[in-house]
Amino acid sequence: MPGIEVPKEKWSGKVREVTLGATAAEGGTRSRTVTVGGETTLPFLKFEGEIPHPPAIALEVRDQQPNDWPSILLEAWNGATQDVAEWAKAAEAAGADLVALRFNASEQLNAAYARKILRRVLSATGLPLIVFGAGQADLDNEILVAVAEEGKGERLVLGVCEEKNYRTIVAAALAHGHLVDARTPMDVNLSKQLTILIHDMGMPLERIITDPTTGALGYGIEYGYSVMERLRIAALQGDTMTQQPMLVTPGEEAWRTKEARAAEGVPAAWGDYVERAINWEVLTASTLIQSGADIVVLRHPKSLQRVRAMINALMS
Amino acid sequence: MVEVPTGTLIVEAVHQAGLDLNIPCGGQGRCGRCAVIVDNRRAVRSRSELRLSQEDLAAGYVLACQTVLEGDVTVTIPPQEKIERRLVTDRTATRVTLPFSYDPKRDQPMQLVPLTIDPPTMDDQTDDWSRLKRAMALNYGISDLTIDLATLRKLGTTLREADWSVTAVVELDTWDRPNGPARLVDLIAGQNVAHLWGAAVDVGTTTVSLYLVDLLRGEVVARAAEYNAQIKRGEDVISRIIYASRNGNLQEMQALVVDTINEVLERACGRAGIRPWEIYKMTVAGNSTMIHLLLGLPANSIRLEPFITTINQPPPVQAAQLGIAIHPQAHVDCLPGVASYVGADIPAGVLGSQMCDSKSVALFLDIGTNGEMVLGDCDWLVSCACSAGPAFEGAGVRDGMRATVGAIEEVWINGQTYEPTYRVIPDPQLEAQGKPTLPKGICGSGLISLLAEMFVTGVVDKAGNLNFDLGSPRIRYGEHGPEYVVAWGNETAHGRDIVITKVDIDNLIRAKAAIYAGFTVMARSVGIDLSTVERVLVGGSFGQYVNVEKAIQIGLLPDLPWEKFHFLGNTSLKGALFALLNREFRRHLTTIAQKMTYLELSADNTFYEAFTSALFLPHTDLSHFPSVAEILAARRTTQSSHFIQGGRPDVHHR
Repeated sequence: MPGIEVPKEKWSGKVREVTLGATAAEGGTRSRTVTVGGETTLPFLKFEGEIPHPPAIALEVRDQQPNDWPSILLEAWNGATQDVAEWAKAAEAAGADLVALRFNASEQLNAAYARKILRRVLSATGLPLIVFGAGQADLDNEILVAVAEEGKGERLVLGVCEEKNYRTIVAAALAHGHLVDARTPMDVNLSKQLTILIHDMGMPLERIITDPTTGALGYGIEYGYSVMERLRIAALQGDTMTQQPMLVTPGEEAWRTKEARAAEGVPAAWGDYVERAINWEVLTASTLIQSGADIVVLRHPKSLQRVRAMINALMS
Repeated sequence: MVEVPTGTLIVEAVHQAGLDLNIPCGGQGRCGRCAVIVDNRRAVRSRSELRLSQEDLAAGYVLACQTVLEGDVTVTIPPQEKIERRLVTDRTATRVTLPFSYDPKRDQPMQLVPLTIDPPTMDDQTDDWSRLKRAMALNYGISDLTIDLATLRKLGTTLREADWSVTAVVELDTWDRPNGPARLVDLIAGQNVAHLWGAAVDVGTTTVSLYLVDLLRGEVVARAAEYNAQIKRGEDVISRIIYASRNGNLQEMQALVVDTINEVLERACGRAGIRPWEIYKMTVAGNSTMIHLLLGLPANSIRLEPFITTINQPPPVQAAQLGIAIHPQAHVDCLPGVASYVGADIPAGVLGSQMCDSKSVALFLDIGTNGEMVLGDCDWLVSCACSAGPAFEGAGVRDGMRATVGAIEEVWINGQTYEPTYRVIPDPQLEAQGKPTLPKGICGSGLISLLAEMFVTGVVDKAGNLNFDLGSPRIRYGEHGPEYVVAWGNETAHGRDIVITKVDIDNLIRAKAAIYAGFTVMARSVGIDLSTVERVLVGGSFGQYVNVEKAIQIGLLPDLPWEKFHFLGNTSLKGALFALLNREFRRHLTTIAQKMTYLELSADNTFYEAFTSALFLPHTDLSHFPSVAEILAARRTTQSSHFIQGGRPDVHHR
């Protein structure tokens, strides 16, 4: 195309590089580490700036098979969901970069149980881990402190830290060399504020991942997209407290939608159920990657393959 | 005289000498309350002079907690009063001073006119009213006198009972009838009337304040204030409008505010030893909603797009029509407003502060439940309003109260022990007996001070969350969630703990964020950088003063040099007073109200963004608050060791 010059933006800022996991040489037991961030331009605009690391994909595993997942999603794992260690192994085999271990809220969940589960997952996979609590502040504080101690040196990502409940998790992560996931409800300022609060406790910025929260395709994704885009533009413009890599959970969001759960009683035009459900997760994830997500947490192994294909195509 | 080793802190030496020196901040050089005077500056070395001005340093002041002794020196401890006066901004004078000289004959439309009237005879059968008019025209040149039916009904009786020697209370003109005609408001028997009374009222969303004024001397004789009884029907203007718009409720709201006015009226009159019906004129300042509700006008259109009032410049109405207990035929003059959310209090404040007479750009902030602000100079003025909630007036906060006797008005927190010290607005009688006044609650300035201290010492984080890791017994879970105990029950007037809860803290942060977002968006919209503002004029019913430094620390006021701030007290009430006394001032109010450009923040899509970024202490963008950043950096160096030694974090259960 002679005579056409692609306009380039000059950004002054850079997304912070954050490394998840630690190998034996680094004090952990992971077979490899994953580094995200480092971008000096918007997603995939390689002609304009540096994109040193592709977006990373995590697959979510649970300490017990969840009872609120659609059967097609459970079936995709061929029985591995029955045991957390098997599940983690299967996730690695499916091509995940990271394993996201999430605890179900259950009677048996306590510090000792969480330690045991963590040990099993650590020995089942060599991938770096993200560990999410069950979403109940007091309980999460208790189990994540135990997880932090048990996984000392592994550079786990502990989450989620929220503005109303972050001190205990951050202190535990600080004391045992881990990272934290800082979640805020879809707002640029709130995201920035939580990063500041966590950093104020002495946590280096290189150990904070921001989690701006998102919605699934058709369920508010445009709002989440816009917040992430604004966060990323602010980061590139040099606003230091917005320069954390972003983690989002499109798998969780997509598999909550009617489109991913309703096999029957929907218009024929909706098409094949299994295809539609996977498409919902893939489109949610790939859209968020286009708005700057550095880590996406998925649930279906096939979704991983398709999202990976898109990343590879756009990175080459 | 005491001997100490070289390198001893002055504060320690003073204690060894058996003297007491307060260090409320715990000796971190933060509060400035331990300032002492040394006679030989070369014999001492100071670590920090943070709280001292150039003049202070020149006068030999050093901070006792930050200064070590290296030679012989005489240390003078100034009286505590003197130190405090240097630290607060302008205390409002107890006497209200007028920005103009007052000549009642020249400035005041209300006049007392003594009249000796020729009694009627069989030869002179002129009617009473014409007879009185004739005397008035003959002696005073007032030929266009009018009279109301109510006054007319008692005319004949009064004239005869007084044997034709009377004093006429005459209103020469009003703002909407600048050339008269004059109106006979009342007729008093005899000619020995020594006083002519007026009242200036500020009807705030939260507080109603009143000055009782001697119109002959131009002096405030008594004052009173009370919470607006409408509070029980909603804390902010929007919820009151909604309530008033339901069937029959407008009358109730009108009655509630009139009851409050009558109550403060009664109280002020009691103090002056007069009766309310001796008052012949009242001026009222207030935001548009308050004025609408007072007049019984439907206010719903104020709330709904495109936000239009029934009237911005209401005509004077007779007190009897409103139910206000002053003389029934006296005029109640509601001062002019600008727009739906910028009422009469703003022109009144602007004119009272003389910001429109200067070439330099000034920012005027009226910090109340309805926060209103003006930016400009003698050539232009832009105004806007935002809802801040009643926290700064001490309402809507668990242990909040108005700035009256027993209110905690300032707090210091020790940065090591997290123990507070506080100052209470004293009861003059107890003070005269040398007894302390026990606290009952915390007023607006106390809340600002308290939040700033909690923030700077790390009792709360930048989001206002209480830090339970500090292990202070004062940080605990109460009925309403996390809270900090300011005063234990055994030190309070009512025997209960005085606390600030997390809910209160959130209210305060929202209130300050609304104000900060309001003026930053307004400044941006006219392309003014806040740092170029020459003066920041702060009004509001905080009490005697607001500590500028602490208001900056919480991010309520912009981080500008302290000398740019001027605290004006209740400017709305003062505006009402000046308008009561001076018809020129009253006329100016109308022109200023018309001249102001109103910025509707709800139509500005950057306001919400500005608001959420201000929902943080002091602000999400700390670079706007360099002086606060400096204080936080200093704290981090003293406290970081503490944190690292903290060891294994504790798990907290509720």
